[in-house]
Amino acid sequence: MNFGRLLRSAPTLWGLAGFLVVLAVWGPWIPTFVLTLLINLLLFASLAYSMNFIAGLTGYVSFGHVVFMGTGAYAWGYVVGTFGWHPLAGIVAGAAVGLALALGIGSVALRFRGVYFAIATLVTALAARNIILVIPALGDGQGIILNLGFEPLTWFYTIWVILGIQVGLTYWVTHGRIGYGLRAIKSDEDAAKALGVDAARLKLFVFAFSGLFAGAAGALNVWTLSGVFPEPAFDLLFSLQMLAMVIIGGMGTLLGPLLGAVAVYLPHNYFLTVAVGAEFIVIGILVTFFALVVPQGIVGALRRYVPTLRGIIE
Amino acid sequence: MADASVIVAQVIFGLIRGILLGCVFALIALGLNLVWGIAKVVNIAHGELVMLGAYGAYFLNLFLGFNPLLTAPIDAALGLAAGLGFYFAILHRELRGKEAITLQSEMVTLVATFGLSLAISNLANIAFTGNFVGIPFDAGSIEIGFLQIPLAGIYVAVLSVVIISLTHVLLNRTYLGNAIRAYSQDIPAAKLMGINPTAVAAIGTGLAFAVTMAGGAFLTTLFPTGINPYMGALYAPISYVIVVLGGPGRMWGSLVGGLTLGIVIDVGQIFLGVEIAYAVAFLLLIPVLLLRPEGILR
Repeated sequence: MNFGRLLRSAPTLWGLAGFLVVLAVWGPWIPTFVLTLLINLLLFASLAYSMNFIAGLTGYVSFGHVVFMGTGAYAWGYVVGTFGWHPLAGIVAGAAVGLALALGIGSVALRFRGVYFAIATLVTALAARNIILVIPALGDGQGIILNLGFEPLTWFYTIWVILGIQVGLTYWVTHGRIGYGLRAIKSDEDAAKALGVDAARLKLFVFAFSGLFAGAAGALNVWTLSGVFPEPAFDLLFSLQMLAMVIIGGMGTLLGPLLGAVAVYLPHNYFLTVAVGAEFIVIGILVTFFALVVPQGIVGALRRYVPTLRGIIE
Repeated sequence: MADASVIVAQVIFGLIRGILLGCVFALIALGLNLVWGIAKVVNIAHGELVMLGAYGAYFLNLFLGFNPLLTAPIDAALGLAAGLGFYFAILHRELRGKEAITLQSEMVTLVATFGLSLAISNLANIAFTGNFVGIPFDAGSIEIGFLQIPLAGIYVAVLSVVIISLTHVLLNRTYLGNAIRAYSQDIPAAKLMGINPTAVAAIGTGLAFAVTMAGGAFLTTLFPTGINPYMGALYAPISYVIVVLGGPGRMWGSLVGGLTLGIVIDVGQIFLGVEIAYAVAFLLLIPVLLLRPEGILR
C-alpha cells in the first residue's frame, strides 16, 4: 500500500493514530488520578468500537452485548484465580471466550432481523447471567475475589493496545470489499443477498470481532475492579451504554465511537456528586434525541451540514 | 413416599401460582402486543410503564388508602394520557405519512424508546428512591385440602383475563377495532376507507399504555414487596418473550404466552431453582423464533 497516499486519503485514521501515540508517550507522566479516568474513557471507547462492528456496520442492534463482557470477565477470573495465569494472558483468554461465544450466539441470533435480533440478544444476556450465578467453579454467584494490586500503567497500555487494534480493524473493514458488503446489508439485506453478498458469513465475521473485543474489554474491566462479581460483570447498563455511544457518535463511522464514548463518559464524572443514576437520565434523553432528530449521529451530522469536513472526518 | 407427595403438592401449588401469575403477565404483555401489532413499534420502555403503574398503585394506596384493585382504572386513565402523549411526542415524528413501516423506522423507534427507558427508570430512582416498597394487601385466601390460594391472586388473574377478552372484543367486533386492524394490515388501504391513520395509531398506543399500567397495578398484589424503580428490567424481557410466543398482534396469543411463561417460571423453580427457571423462560424465545416465528398459535 502506498504510504503517502494512505496519509492523504485517511486523515481520520491518522488523527486517531496521533491521538493514541500522544497518549502512549505521555503515559508514564500522567498523574494517577487522570490516568484512572483515562483508562475508563479508553475502556468505554473500546466497548463502543466493539459495538460499532455489529450495530454500526450492519445495523443489527444488540441489546445483550454485555454477555461477551461478562463471560470474558469470568474467563479472566477463572484462569487467573484457579490456574494462576498472568492477568495479561487472562485477557487473551477473555477475548478467546468472547470470540467463541460470539460465533455460537451469532450463528443462531444473526438469523433474526431488526427487533427480533435485539430481543434475542437481550434475553441471551439475561439467561447467561442467571446461568453463571449457579456455577460453583465461578463462585456460585458470590464472585471470584482476586487481589492483584493497583497497576494503572499496565491497565492503561493494555486497553491502549486493544483500542489501537480496534481502530485499525475498523478502518480495514470499512475500506475494503467487506465494507461494501456490510453497507449493502445495512441498507437492504435481501437486495445484498441477491447481488451475491454472503450476508450470513459477513455478519458472523464482524459479530465475532465484536465479541472478541468486548470479551477482552470485559476482562480488563474486572482486572481494574480486583475481582469478578456478577453484578458489575453482567451489568446490563454496559450493553445500553455501548449502544448509546455508537448512536450518539455515529453508526458505522471511524471517529464516531470515540466521540460517543466521550459524550457518554463525561456525564458519569460530572453527575457523580449530584445524584445516583442522574447521568443515565442525560444519556437516555440524548439517545432519544439522536434517534429521532439526528439519526446519523455526531459524525454523520457534521459530514452532512459542514461540507468542508466531508473529506476529512469519517 | 412422603417426599414424592411433597413434590406433587409443590408442583400443584406452583402450577396454580404460575397460572395466576401468567394471567397478569399476559395482561402486561398485551400492552406491548398492541403497540407492536398495531404500529409495528417495539416499545423498549414497556417495563418502565409497568413500573409506573405499580408506583401509581403504591402512592394511591399510601396517600389515599385505595384498594390496589381499585387503583387499576386510575392507572389505566393515566396510561391512556401517557400513551397519547408518547404517540404525538415520539412516534408521530417517525410514523407520520408512512405508507408502510420499514425496518429503518422500526429501528428508530426501538432506539428512541430505549433512550426513554434509560431516562425514566433513573428519574424514578431519584424521585421515588431505590428502596423496594409494597402494598400491604390481604384479601384472605381459600383452602382446598392442603393448598392455600390467596384470593387477591385469583381476583387479579380473573380481571386480567376479562380485560384481555374485552380487548379482543374491541378489536374484532367494533368499528374502532376494525379500523385499528385495518391500519395494522395496510395503511394506504385503510386511508382509502376513510380511516384517519394518526387517530387510530394514537388511540391504539393509548389503549396499550392503559392496559400496561393497569397490569402494573395488578402485579403489586402478587409481589408484596416487589416495587422498585428498576423492576421494568425484568418485566420488559418477560413481555417480549410472551409476545413472540403468542405472535405479535394476536391478543389470545398473549394469554397463551403468559400462561406458558408463568408455569415455566413457577413450576421450573421447584426443580431448577429461581435463576435457571428464569433463564429457561427467557431462552424459550430462541426456539420459537427459529421454528415458529409467527408464534405458537396457529
